[in-house]
Amino acid sequence: MEEIDTSVSKKRSFFRFWNQPKHAAYLFMAPSIIILLFFMVIPLVGTLGLSFFDINIFFTGTKFVGLDNFIQFFHDQRAINSMWHTVYFTILETPTQVIVGTIAAAALSRTTLFNRFSRSVFYVPVICSLTTSGIIFSMLLDPNIGWIPYVLHQFGMSTPQFFRDATLAMPSIAVMTVWKNFGVTMTIMLTAIQAISPSLYESAEMDGANKKQQFFHVTIPQIIPSLGFCVMTNLIGSMQVFDQIYVTTAGGPEFKTESAVQYIYSRGFSAPYQLGYASSVATILFVIIAVLSISSNLYMSHKEKQMR
Amino acid sequence: MEARTASTTELVDSGKKSNYHRSRLIKSIIFKIVMSLLILIVVFPFLWLLLSSFKYEKDIITYPPHIFAGKYTFQNYIKVWDTIPLLGYVKNTVVFAGATMIISLVLDSMTGYALARMEFKGKTAFYYFVMVTMMIPFMVYMIPLFIEMNKMNLLDTYTGLIIPRATTAFGIFMMRSNFVGLPRDLDEAARLDGLNEWRIFTKIMLPLSKPTLMALAVFTLTNNWNDLLYPLILTTTSSMRTLPAGLALFTGQHISFYGPVMAGAVISMLPLFIIYIFAQKYFVQGSAMSGMKE
Repeated sequence: MEEIDTSVSKKRSFFRFWNQPKHAAYLFMAPSIIILLFFMVIPLVGTLGLSFFDINIFFTGTKFVGLDNFIQFFHDQRAINSMWHTVYFTILETPTQVIVGTIAAAALSRTTLFNRFSRSVFYVPVICSLTTSGIIFSMLLDPNIGWIPYVLHQFGMSTPQFFRDATLAMPSIAVMTVWKNFGVTMTIMLTAIQAISPSLYESAEMDGANKKQQFFHVTIPQIIPSLGFCVMTNLIGSMQVFDQIYVTTAGGPEFKTESAVQYIYSRGFSAPYQLGYASSVATILFVIIAVLSISSNLYMSHKEKQMR
Repeated sequence: MEARTASTTELVDSGKKSNYHRSRLIKSIIFKIVMSLLILIVVFPFLWLLLSSFKYEKDIITYPPHIFAGKYTFQNYIKVWDTIPLLGYVKNTVVFAGATMIISLVLDSMTGYALARMEFKGKTAFYYFVMVTMMIPFMVYMIPLFIEMNKMNLLDTYTGLIIPRATTAFGIFMMRSNFVGLPRDLDEAARLDGLNEWRIFTKIMLPLSKPTLMALAVFTLTNNWNDLLYPLILTTTSSMRTLPAGLALFTGQHISFYGPVMAGAVISMLPLFIIYIFAQKYFVQGSAMSGMKE
């Protein structure tokens, strides 16, 4: 009898202990934290570790090579080119998407039936996968059957090869990406624009500012934080460009559109399956992305402080 | 009040008024034309895809291209199941994206709840830990993740696909912002009534969070449904591919039969599109939340 009593009270005190918010919190968070730790943080550290090894996908002949992989990177023209292609894509894509998205948001900020319809339409490509977008655009840009070469031809231009042309392939991919993603920027900027207090416009109007002046002196300064956020996330996202390239050109022609992630993927997951070397390229890319995101974060918070 | 004064001045000066109105009308017409053009640019590829998926192969590969064909057929939608293992792709995508969505809703809201409404040791540290993981791109840790999964024999399994995606820093962040916004005295009153912490969470807090949960649900569903690199890394056999990975591998650079591929593309985006039509608000909310600053 007594034994049961103590076990019941033990159970009860156990329950009481974990039912206090200051203890229960750990139980609530445990699954997420464990997953993030095991499937994100540990692999992240693993990437750095693998960079110092010569290791292939079959785990045969693994050996420690120190900084050799990094030294190899600086002599690997294809790897360095892939970095430049990534930067090139970013320069093409990010400003275009942010500008198109912001203009669309500013133009559609008033809630009329037509504007609401336009907004819904512009968001449709966002829910479409890059694979599907890639398939659609491969066909639309196909020099033999595609609509876009045909239309350009009607305007007297020669039919360009787009995805198969070394100079046009990357801009084509960038335009396709803007087409697919500008709805995201539009949505974020729309939220920012609609949050601007109408009294700011009223006082600007009383000061005799026209619509254009209002846009540059009221709207833009008010949406700078969101604009900065869009630029930043876009920059970081563009540096990781992979899907659209994999589907449309697979890095070709002659590796001219090969991005850093595409290179890491093909180095690690196709012949010669060098996971170690691919990891060292990933480490370098991560350092670049981390520097970008930390410095833009610092810049933005500095800007915001200035504005206050 | 303002409108009335404006109209009286306009009445006095009717010449100016018609001028003003005309320029406004012209502006609004130009605006509508430009927007309609943009709408056309966005919509045309989809409409063309949809129409072409019902065409015979010979009508797809004509030059100059035609929007409409003389005859339409369901043939592509029948052939696609044989030419591509599409049924398997659909099943894998539904299981992976569906299960991931449900599990991450539970885990993200639990963690978000703890970070929003409970006081405990190390709270700030945990919060920053989650925020930092939000900034780690997948490609950076994909190789060790692949090795980890390989060693645990979880490659090519649903478990292996689902677990690493079963929680996201963004989801936690989103749920936390939601729970921070709920009134303070709610849980205190419930605690006085003798409800335990789990009950407070499931019976009081979660029902109040339905809009955010919906937004997070469609957000994670879309992300995982459309993801390419992640399933490409964690699956090696064709029978475990999801729709984007399978279609991408099948089409590659060179498409041999356009019709079935187009039918496959339509099928792959149709479920999300239907959900979008009915739950548009939540899709947009998810995107807008991602732009929210602290």
